[in-house]
Amino acid sequence: MRKFTLSCLAIGISLIFGALILWLMGKNPGEAYMSILQGAGLMEKARYSGRQSMFTDFMSLVDAMTPMIFASLAVALALKGGFFNIGVSGQMLFAGFCAHMAAQFLPSRIVVVIVGFVAGAVVGALIGWLKSRFNVNEVVSSIMLNSILMYVITFYIYTFYINPVSRNSVSVPAAARLTLSGFRWEGMKVDIALAFPAAVITAVLLHWFINKTTYGYEIKAVGLSPRAAHYAGMNVGRTAVITMTLSGALAGLAGVAYYCGYLAAIQPGVTPSMGFDAIAVSLLGGNNPLGCVLASFLITVISKGSVYMSSRQNIELEIASLITALILTFAACSAVLDRRRGK
Amino acid sequence: MPDTIIIDGLSFSLPLFVMAVGGIFSEKSGITNLALEGFQGFGAFTGAFAAVYLYGVFGADSVIPYWASFVFAVIGGGVFALLHALLCVRFKADQVISGVVMNILAMALTSFLTKRINASIFGNSGNKFMLSASSRITIPGLSELPVVGAVFRDIYPFELVIVAVALVMWLVLYRTVYGMRLRACGDNPQSADAAGINVYAVRTVAVFVSGCLSGLAGMSFAYSVSAQFSPDIYLGYGYLSIAALIFGNWSILPALFACLVFGFARSTGAAVIHGLGLPSSYNDLVRTLPYVLTLLLLVFFGRRNRSPRALGQIYDKGMR
Repeated sequence: MRKFTLSCLAIGISLIFGALILWLMGKNPGEAYMSILQGAGLMEKARYSGRQSMFTDFMSLVDAMTPMIFASLAVALALKGGFFNIGVSGQMLFAGFCAHMAAQFLPSRIVVVIVGFVAGAVVGALIGWLKSRFNVNEVVSSIMLNSILMYVITFYIYTFYINPVSRNSVSVPAAARLTLSGFRWEGMKVDIALAFPAAVITAVLLHWFINKTTYGYEIKAVGLSPRAAHYAGMNVGRTAVITMTLSGALAGLAGVAYYCGYLAAIQPGVTPSMGFDAIAVSLLGGNNPLGCVLASFLITVISKGSVYMSSRQNIELEIASLITALILTFAACSAVLDRRRGK
Repeated sequence: MPDTIIIDGLSFSLPLFVMAVGGIFSEKSGITNLALEGFQGFGAFTGAFAAVYLYGVFGADSVIPYWASFVFAVIGGGVFALLHALLCVRFKADQVISGVVMNILAMALTSFLTKRINASIFGNSGNKFMLSASSRITIPGLSELPVVGAVFRDIYPFELVIVAVALVMWLVLYRTVYGMRLRACGDNPQSADAAGINVYAVRTVAVFVSGCLSGLAGMSFAYSVSAQFSPDIYLGYGYLSIAALIFGNWSILPALFACLVFGFARSTGAAVIHGLGLPSSYNDLVRTLPYVLTLLLLVFFGRRNRSPRALGQIYDKGMR
């Protein structure tokens, strides 16, 4: 509960900051924030173009939020086990890429999900194994792997898998896409994120797993104090590998939901910034799986809604990432307040 | 061809190196610094803004904007780094988290401000600051030497600055009282405190220095890689320099060696691929090399690699 209050405080301070920036730019902060809600599909806009409504806006919010939930869960689980998974980004990219490759041969949603899950788990396991076997710091190995995976996949896409018009990769076959894009429903064109229910169920399951099972207990014990866990007879090395494997698998699901759902193609040359944002989202959610769902919702509302706000209020589109970044900064500080009060 | 390998290799290695030196300062004092990427970008932003602004005052051909851009890049990088220091030292935030957040913040803030400034001051809607091309220096005499002569040919002026700065930084770290105190803070802050050293102040200054040096590096990349500032400056060179400083075992000279290896691997790869007539996308394979090398080094020689003992630990005076 205390964490919840602190997260709200971080959000509150950044919204005040954001309002200040908007006011300095000569805009009305109230109107601007209202247009964020309108853009995110939480409030009625004054006018809609054809085949669109508040409902379609809300559904594309849900679509964008699905990979973020998985990604922040990956970070949260790793942090519970004492790992800082800064490699979510690379794991997402690798999983999305493998899923794309698999979908070339077997265009099916189940195949895509399984391949993404396994691909992410493999990268996660590698990081955990390097840590427990060779004592390679997971932050360092993750950074190296992020870059290695990004360059190799970029090379492959440019050489064999490019869509010459969009300069992105070839799109995933519709039969394997986890988002039903432009689905006709009551005269509307709706994007339906099929993976969203799975994301919420995963969050609930993870909450149960961490708090109610022996494995979850061991992961937390190793995260809090590896030495104490070792004295208590737990296999620290094995637990570390399990933690990172599961975290990588969650990141893999995020990658699939991102590259074969929210997006249909892979942009070469970059690692998804969502992997880094997820770290902060997890932090904002107090590293609690259910908190992650809430925090993902909030961050996605801001990033999606700001697109509409920037066009309505004639403000640079970059204001979206700026407000998000401010929230993250204050969230990083709020961890401090928490520690202080805890003592 | 060997000439371009040497010239391009050096102009890439040296900025990387000076950034790694900054990273060493910060990490030797005990503050994990994943924020180098953000520092270099923010420094490049302030420097490029100053340059573009001064083009209007002195004209694009004047040398004043060129040098001023480096001064402002150093200041900008340093000031932005103080935020990291504030979070890590004063607020005792987790250093890794703070570093990641600094990178996100730098990218968001500079992209926003670039557009904002372009719209309000320069009256265009671009997301970049165009810089005029950097001049090149060729040292007469030395550049006539066979093979190694290329080292002295077509040098960017900032390369000379970097060499001088790195030399001074080496002296500061290993030959001054401040350098010794800094290293003490990273290995055993409790003892350092007991000896009367202000751990918080030493660490804050170290992070500030890392920001200044990263700003210098970022501005150099802005001139040498693309002759502009745009959000494309965040290509991961900060992370590459972290790889270099780990590869170099947190020491300045080995880090220089690592940067040279990374830089020459890059330029040699590019030259070979160009020579074989392969498409430029093969460059991406070459670019994995530094990261693969660093990872292998950590796996096989990890035991010999010694990070500062108190690296990443939050120092709390009250905790003994």
